[in-house]
Amino acid sequence: MWNLLPSISQLLFVLFGAMALGCAVAMVAHRNPLYSAISLVGVFVSLACLYLTLQAPFIAAIQIIVYAGAIMVLVVFVIMLLNVEEEVRRPLRLTYLIPIGVLLAAVLVGEAAFMLQLGNYAAASPAMPATSDVGLTASIGAGMFTKYLLPFEVTSVLILMALVGAITLARQGRTPFLAAPGNVTEEPAVLTPAGELALKPGDTAATGRAYAREQIKSGDAAAPSAPAREEEKR
Amino acid sequence: MIPLTWYLALSAVLFTIGVVGVIIKRNAIQMFMCIELMLNAVNLTFVAFSSYFGDVTGQLFVFIVMTVAAAEAAVGLGIIIAIFRNRESLDVDDASILRL
Repeated sequence: MWNLLPSISQLLFVLFGAMALGCAVAMVAHRNPLYSAISLVGVFVSLACLYLTLQAPFIAAIQIIVYAGAIMVLVVFVIMLLNVEEEVRRPLRLTYLIPIGVLLAAVLVGEAAFMLQLGNYAAASPAMPATSDVGLTASIGAGMFTKYLLPFEVTSVLILMALVGAITLARQGRTPFLAAPGNVTEEPAVLTPAGELALKPGDTAATGRAYAREQIKSGDAAAPSAPAREEEKR
Repeated sequence: MIPLTWYLALSAVLFTIGVVGVIIKRNAIQMFMCIELMLNAVNLTFVAFSSYFGDVTGQLFVFIVMTVAAAEAAVGLGIIIAIFRNRESLDVDDASILRL
Protein backbone atom coordinates (compact mmCIF):
# COMPACT_ATOMS: atom_id res chain seq x y z
CA MET A 1 0.00 0.00 0.00
CA TRP A 2 2.80 2.39 0.88
CA ASN A 3 4.57 3.62 -2.16
CA LEU A 4 6.74 6.62 -2.75
CA LEU A 5 4.07 8.65 -4.47
CA PRO A 6 1.96 10.56 -2.00
CA SER A 7 -1.65 9.60 -2.05
CA ILE A 8 -4.36 12.09 -2.87
CA SER A 9 -5.36 12.41 0.78
CA GLN A 10 -1.79 13.22 1.76
CA LEU A 11 -1.66 15.85 -0.94
CA LEU A 12 -4.89 17.38 0.33
CA PHE A 13 -3.60 17.37 3.89
CA VAL A 14 -0.36 19.08 2.91
CA LEU A 15 -2.19 21.61 0.75
CA PHE A 16 -4.76 22.67 3.33
CA GLY A 17 -2.40 22.33 6.27
CA ALA A 18 0.12 24.62 4.61
CA MET A 19 -2.68 27.02 3.75
CA ALA A 20 -3.85 27.07 7.37
CA LEU A 21 -0.33 27.61 8.69
CA GLY A 22 0.42 30.35 6.18
CA CYS A 23 -2.80 32.18 6.90
CA ALA A 24 -2.21 31.88 10.67
CA VAL A 25 1.30 33.32 10.40
CA ALA A 26 -0.01 36.11 8.17
CA MET A 27 -2.71 36.84 10.74
CA VAL A 28 -0.16 37.31 13.51
CA ALA A 29 2.28 39.20 11.28
CA HIS A 30 -0.12 41.80 9.86
CA ARG A 31 -0.42 45.08 11.69
CA ASN A 32 -3.73 46.00 10.09
CA PRO A 33 -6.58 44.21 11.91
CA LEU A 34 -8.65 43.95 8.74
CA TYR A 35 -5.94 41.96 6.95
CA SER A 36 -5.64 39.80 10.05
CA ALA A 37 -9.37 39.12 9.89
CA ILE A 38 -9.18 38.11 6.23
CA SER A 39 -6.26 35.79 6.99
CA LEU A 40 -8.25 34.25 9.83
CA VAL A 41 -11.08 33.53 7.38
CA GLY A 42 -8.49 31.71 5.29
CA VAL A 43 -7.53 29.60 8.32
CA PHE A 44 -11.18 28.76 8.96
CA VAL A 45 -11.82 27.73 5.36
CA SER A 46 -8.74 25.52 5.17
CA LEU A 47 -9.65 23.92 8.50
CA ALA A 48 -13.12 23.22 7.11
CA CYS A 49 -11.47 21.47 4.16
CA LEU A 50 -9.37 19.43 6.60
CA TYR A 51 -12.57 18.43 8.41
CA LEU A 52 -13.91 17.22 5.07
CA THR A 53 -10.83 15.04 4.61
CA LEU A 54 -11.52 13.70 8.10
CA GLN A 55 -15.03 12.68 7.02
CA ALA A 56 -16.78 15.24 9.17
CA PRO A 57 -19.03 17.10 6.73
CA PHE A 58 -21.39 18.44 9.38
CA ILE A 59 -18.59 20.06 11.38
CA ALA A 60 -17.10 21.43 8.17
CA ALA A 61 -20.39 23.09 7.24
CA ILE A 62 -20.85 24.46 10.75
CA GLN A 63 -17.28 25.75 10.68
CA ILE A 64 -18.00 27.78 7.53
CA ILE A 65 -21.41 28.98 8.69
CA VAL A 66 -20.59 29.88 12.29
CA TYR A 67 -16.95 30.89 12.15
CA ALA A 68 -16.39 32.28 8.68
CA GLY A 69 -19.98 33.47 8.41
CA ALA A 70 -21.16 34.76 11.75
CA ILE A 71 -18.16 35.38 13.97
CA MET A 72 -15.88 36.89 11.37
CA VAL A 73 -18.65 39.12 10.03
CA LEU A 74 -19.08 40.36 13.60
CA VAL A 75 -15.34 41.00 13.95
CA VAL A 76 -15.07 42.78 10.59
CA PHE A 77 -18.16 44.80 11.46
CA VAL A 78 -16.56 45.95 14.71
CA ILE A 79 -13.30 46.79 12.92
CA MET A 80 -15.21 48.91 10.42
CA LEU A 81 -17.38 50.46 13.12
CA LEU A 82 -14.44 51.53 15.27
CA ASN A 83 -12.46 52.62 12.18
CA VAL A 84 -9.31 51.01 13.52
CA GLU A 85 -6.17 52.25 11.86
CA GLU A 86 -2.95 50.30 11.66
CA GLU A 87 -1.22 49.43 14.85
CA VAL A 88 1.06 52.34 15.70
CA ARG A 89 4.66 51.31 15.85
CA ARG A 90 5.73 52.59 19.21
CA PRO A 91 8.07 51.12 21.78
CA LEU A 92 6.64 48.22 23.66
CA ARG A 93 5.91 48.90 27.27
CA LEU A 94 7.21 45.47 28.08
CA THR A 95 10.24 45.16 25.85
CA TYR A 96 10.93 41.60 26.89
CA LEU A 97 7.54 40.50 25.59
CA ILE A 98 8.65 39.17 22.20
CA PRO A 99 11.57 37.07 23.52
CA ILE A 100 9.26 35.65 26.15
CA GLY A 101 6.65 34.88 23.50
CA VAL A 102 9.16 33.11 21.29
CA LEU A 103 10.57 31.19 24.24
CA LEU A 104 7.13 30.06 25.38
CA ALA A 105 6.28 29.03 21.83
CA ALA A 106 9.45 26.96 21.59
CA VAL A 107 8.68 25.29 24.90
CA LEU A 108 5.12 24.55 23.81
CA VAL A 109 6.16 23.08 20.46
CA GLY A 110 8.85 21.00 22.14
CA GLU A 111 6.36 19.73 24.66
CA ALA A 112 3.85 18.81 21.95
CA ALA A 113 6.55 17.05 19.92
CA PHE A 114 7.64 15.15 23.02
CA MET A 115 4.10 14.06 23.75
CA LEU A 116 3.53 12.95 20.17
CA GLN A 117 6.78 11.03 20.24
CA LEU A 118 6.00 9.52 23.62
CA GLY A 119 2.42 8.61 22.86
CA ASN A 120 3.48 6.83 19.69
CA TYR A 121 0.08 7.49 18.18
CA ALA A 122 1.27 6.49 14.75
CA ALA A 123 1.58 2.89 15.85
CA ALA A 124 -1.23 2.78 18.38
CA SER A 125 -3.99 4.56 16.53
CA PRO A 126 -6.25 2.71 14.16
CA ALA A 127 -6.26 3.69 10.54
CA MET A 128 -9.07 5.97 9.56
CA PRO A 129 -11.96 3.85 8.29
CA ALA A 130 -12.59 4.22 4.61
CA THR A 131 -16.23 5.11 5.11
CA SER A 132 -17.90 5.91 8.38
CA ASP A 133 -21.12 7.56 9.41
CA VAL A 134 -19.63 9.20 12.51
CA GLY A 135 -19.50 12.66 11.02
CA LEU A 136 -22.92 12.63 9.45
CA THR A 137 -25.62 14.94 10.71
CA ALA A 138 -27.84 12.04 11.76
CA SER A 139 -25.34 10.49 14.15
CA ILE A 140 -24.34 13.88 15.60
CA GLY A 141 -27.99 14.76 16.15
CA ALA A 142 -28.66 11.41 17.75
CA GLY A 143 -25.78 11.89 20.16
CA MET A 144 -26.69 15.46 20.91
CA PHE A 145 -30.32 14.83 21.80
CA THR A 146 -29.89 11.62 23.77
CA LYS A 147 -26.67 11.23 25.68
CA TYR A 148 -25.57 14.85 25.66
CA LEU A 149 -28.94 16.55 26.03
CA LEU A 150 -28.05 18.33 29.27
CA PRO A 151 -24.86 20.00 27.94
CA PHE A 152 -26.80 21.04 24.87
CA GLU A 153 -29.47 22.74 26.98
CA VAL A 154 -26.87 24.37 29.22
CA THR A 155 -25.30 25.76 26.07
CA SER A 156 -28.54 27.53 25.23
CA VAL A 157 -28.49 29.21 28.65
CA LEU A 158 -24.90 30.27 27.95
CA ILE A 159 -25.96 31.84 24.66
CA LEU A 160 -28.75 33.70 26.43
CA MET A 161 -26.31 35.06 29.01
CA ALA A 162 -23.93 36.15 26.26
CA LEU A 163 -26.79 37.91 24.49
CA VAL A 164 -27.79 39.86 27.58
CA GLY A 165 -24.16 40.64 28.43
CA ALA A 166 -23.33 41.89 24.95
CA ILE A 167 -26.38 44.15 24.83
CA THR A 168 -25.61 45.54 28.28
CA LEU A 169 -21.97 46.19 27.46
CA ALA A 170 -22.36 47.74 24.04
CA ARG A 171 -25.49 49.75 24.72
CA GLN A 172 -25.29 53.32 23.48
CA GLY A 173 -26.06 56.13 25.87
CA ARG A 174 -26.20 55.58 29.58
CA THR A 175 -23.52 53.29 30.88
CA PRO A 176 -25.39 51.72 33.73
CA PHE A 177 -22.55 51.17 36.14
CA LEU A 178 -20.74 54.44 35.59
CA ALA A 179 -23.19 57.30 35.68
CA ALA A 180 -26.72 56.10 36.07
CA PRO A 181 -28.97 58.49 37.97
CA GLY A 182 -28.40 57.78 41.61
CA ASN A 183 -24.92 56.46 41.09
CA VAL A 184 -23.22 59.87 40.93
CA THR A 185 -24.82 61.50 43.92
CA GLU A 186 -22.03 61.24 46.45
CA GLU A 187 -18.87 63.33 46.42
CA PRO A 188 -18.24 64.07 42.76
CA ALA A 189 -14.59 64.15 41.90
CA VAL A 190 -14.73 67.23 39.70
CA LEU A 191 -16.10 70.65 40.61
CA THR A 192 -16.39 73.56 38.22
CA PRO A 193 -14.83 76.90 39.28
CA ALA A 194 -18.31 78.14 40.14
CA GLY A 195 -18.64 75.25 42.52
CA GLU A 196 -21.31 73.30 40.75
CA LEU A 197 -21.13 69.63 40.10
CA ALA A 198 -19.33 68.56 36.99
CA LEU A 199 -21.32 65.39 36.86
CA LYS A 200 -25.01 65.75 37.28
CA PRO A 201 -27.32 62.85 37.90
CA GLY A 202 -28.26 61.56 34.50
CA ASP A 203 -24.96 62.37 32.91
CA THR A 204 -23.39 59.62 30.94
CA ALA A 205 -19.77 58.64 31.00
CA ALA A 206 -19.37 60.20 27.57
CA THR A 207 -20.62 63.64 28.63
CA GLY A 208 -18.43 63.50 31.72
CA ARG A 209 -15.38 62.84 29.62
CA ALA A 210 -16.24 65.57 27.14
CA TYR A 211 -16.66 67.96 30.07
CA ALA A 212 -13.31 67.01 31.56
CA ARG A 213 -11.64 67.45 28.20
CA GLU A 214 -13.00 70.98 27.87
CA GLN A 215 -11.89 71.81 31.39
CA ILE A 216 -8.38 70.69 30.56
CA LYS A 217 -8.39 72.62 27.30
CA SER A 218 -9.52 75.86 28.93
CA GLY A 219 -6.99 75.50 31.74
CA ASP A 220 -9.54 75.19 34.51
CA ALA A 221 -8.30 71.77 35.47
CA ALA A 222 -4.97 70.09 35.27
CA ALA A 223 -4.56 67.20 32.92
CA PRO A 224 -4.50 63.89 34.70
CA SER A 225 -1.02 62.75 35.54
CA ALA A 226 -1.74 59.10 35.60
CA PRO A 227 1.13 56.84 34.64
CA ALA A 228 -0.77 55.94 31.52
CA ARG A 229 -0.63 59.52 30.31
CA GLU A 230 3.10 59.69 30.83
CA GLU A 231 3.43 56.51 28.87
CA GLU A 232 1.60 58.10 26.00
CA LYS A 233 3.91 61.09 25.86
CA ARG A 234 6.98 58.96 25.56
CA MET B 1 -3.27 6.83 4.90
CA ILE B 2 -2.40 9.90 6.92
CA PRO B 3 -1.12 9.15 10.41
CA LEU B 4 -3.07 10.74 13.20
CA THR B 5 0.16 12.39 14.34
CA TRP B 6 0.12 14.72 11.35
CA TYR B 7 -3.17 16.22 12.39
CA LEU B 8 -2.05 16.51 16.02
CA ALA B 9 1.20 18.22 15.00
CA LEU B 10 -0.61 20.68 12.73
CA SER B 11 -3.01 21.47 15.53
CA ALA B 12 -0.16 22.00 18.03
CA VAL B 13 1.60 24.39 15.69
CA LEU B 14 -1.61 26.36 15.04
CA PHE B 15 -2.23 26.58 18.78
CA THR B 16 1.30 27.85 19.34
CA ILE B 17 0.88 30.53 16.68
CA GLY B 18 -2.24 31.63 18.52
CA VAL B 19 -0.40 31.76 21.84
CA VAL B 20 2.41 33.83 20.34
CA GLY B 21 -0.15 36.18 18.83
CA VAL B 22 -1.89 36.70 22.15
CA ILE B 23 1.44 37.44 23.82
CA ILE B 24 2.95 39.83 21.27
CA LYS B 25 -0.10 41.59 19.84
CA ARG B 26 -1.36 44.79 21.43
CA ASN B 27 -4.46 45.42 19.38
CA ALA B 28 -7.40 44.03 21.35
CA ILE B 29 -9.21 42.77 18.23
CA GLN B 30 -6.13 40.95 17.00
CA MET B 31 -5.62 39.31 20.38
CA PHE B 32 -9.24 38.26 20.19
CA MET B 33 -8.71 36.67 16.78
CA CYS B 34 -5.66 34.80 18.08
CA ILE B 35 -7.87 33.30 20.80
CA GLU B 36 -10.26 32.15 18.08
CA LEU B 37 -7.32 30.53 16.31
CA MET B 38 -6.41 28.61 19.48
CA LEU B 39 -9.99 27.36 19.83
CA ASN B 40 -9.87 26.18 16.22
CA ALA B 41 -6.62 24.31 16.77
CA VAL B 42 -8.25 22.40 19.62
CA ASN B 43 -11.26 21.71 17.41
CA LEU B 44 -8.99 20.12 14.82
CA THR B 45 -7.64 17.77 17.49
CA PHE B 46 -11.15 16.83 18.54
CA VAL B 47 -12.27 16.07 15.01
CA ALA B 48 -9.12 14.10 14.21
CA PHE B 49 -9.50 11.87 17.26
CA SER B 50 -13.22 11.53 16.61
CA SER B 51 -12.77 10.26 13.08
CA TYR B 52 -9.80 8.03 13.80
CA PHE B 53 -11.46 6.31 16.74
CA GLY B 54 -14.93 6.29 15.22
CA ASP B 55 -16.55 8.03 18.17
CA VAL B 56 -19.02 10.87 17.68
CA THR B 57 -18.33 12.47 21.07
CA GLY B 58 -15.41 14.53 19.80
CA GLN B 59 -17.56 16.19 17.16
CA LEU B 60 -20.22 17.02 19.75
CA PHE B 61 -17.48 18.69 21.79
CA VAL B 62 -16.53 20.71 18.73
CA PHE B 63 -20.12 21.83 18.44
CA ILE B 64 -20.11 23.04 22.04
CA VAL B 65 -16.71 24.72 21.63
CA MET B 66 -18.12 26.62 18.64
CA THR B 67 -21.07 27.76 20.74
CA VAL B 68 -18.73 28.99 23.45
CA ALA B 69 -16.67 30.77 20.79
CA ALA B 70 -19.78 32.51 19.47
CA ALA B 71 -20.75 33.62 22.98
CA GLU B 72 -17.19 34.77 23.58
CA ALA B 73 -17.26 36.73 20.33
CA ALA B 74 -20.42 38.56 21.32
CA VAL B 75 -19.27 39.45 24.84
CA GLY B 76 -15.66 40.11 23.85
CA LEU B 77 -16.56 42.48 21.05
CA GLY B 78 -18.99 44.22 23.41
CA ILE B 79 -16.16 44.75 25.88
CA ILE B 80 -13.87 45.96 23.07
CA ILE B 81 -16.49 48.50 21.96
CA ALA B 82 -16.91 49.69 25.56
CA ILE B 83 -13.14 50.08 25.99
CA PHE B 84 -12.89 51.95 22.71
CA ARG B 85 -15.69 54.28 23.73
CA ASN B 86 -13.92 55.07 26.98
CA ARG B 87 -10.34 55.38 25.78
CA GLU B 88 -10.61 55.96 22.02
CA SER B 89 -7.90 53.36 21.52
CA LEU B 90 -7.77 49.63 21.06
CA ASP B 91 -4.25 49.26 22.39
CA VAL B 92 -4.34 47.04 25.44
CA ASP B 93 -1.45 49.03 26.91
CA ASP B 94 -3.86 51.95 27.21
CA ALA B 95 -6.28 49.81 29.16
CA SER B 96 -3.79 48.56 31.72
CA ILE B 97 -5.36 50.41 34.63
CA LEU B 98 -8.86 49.37 35.57
CA ARG B 99 -10.36 52.81 35.80
CA LEU B 100 -11.22 55.69 33.55
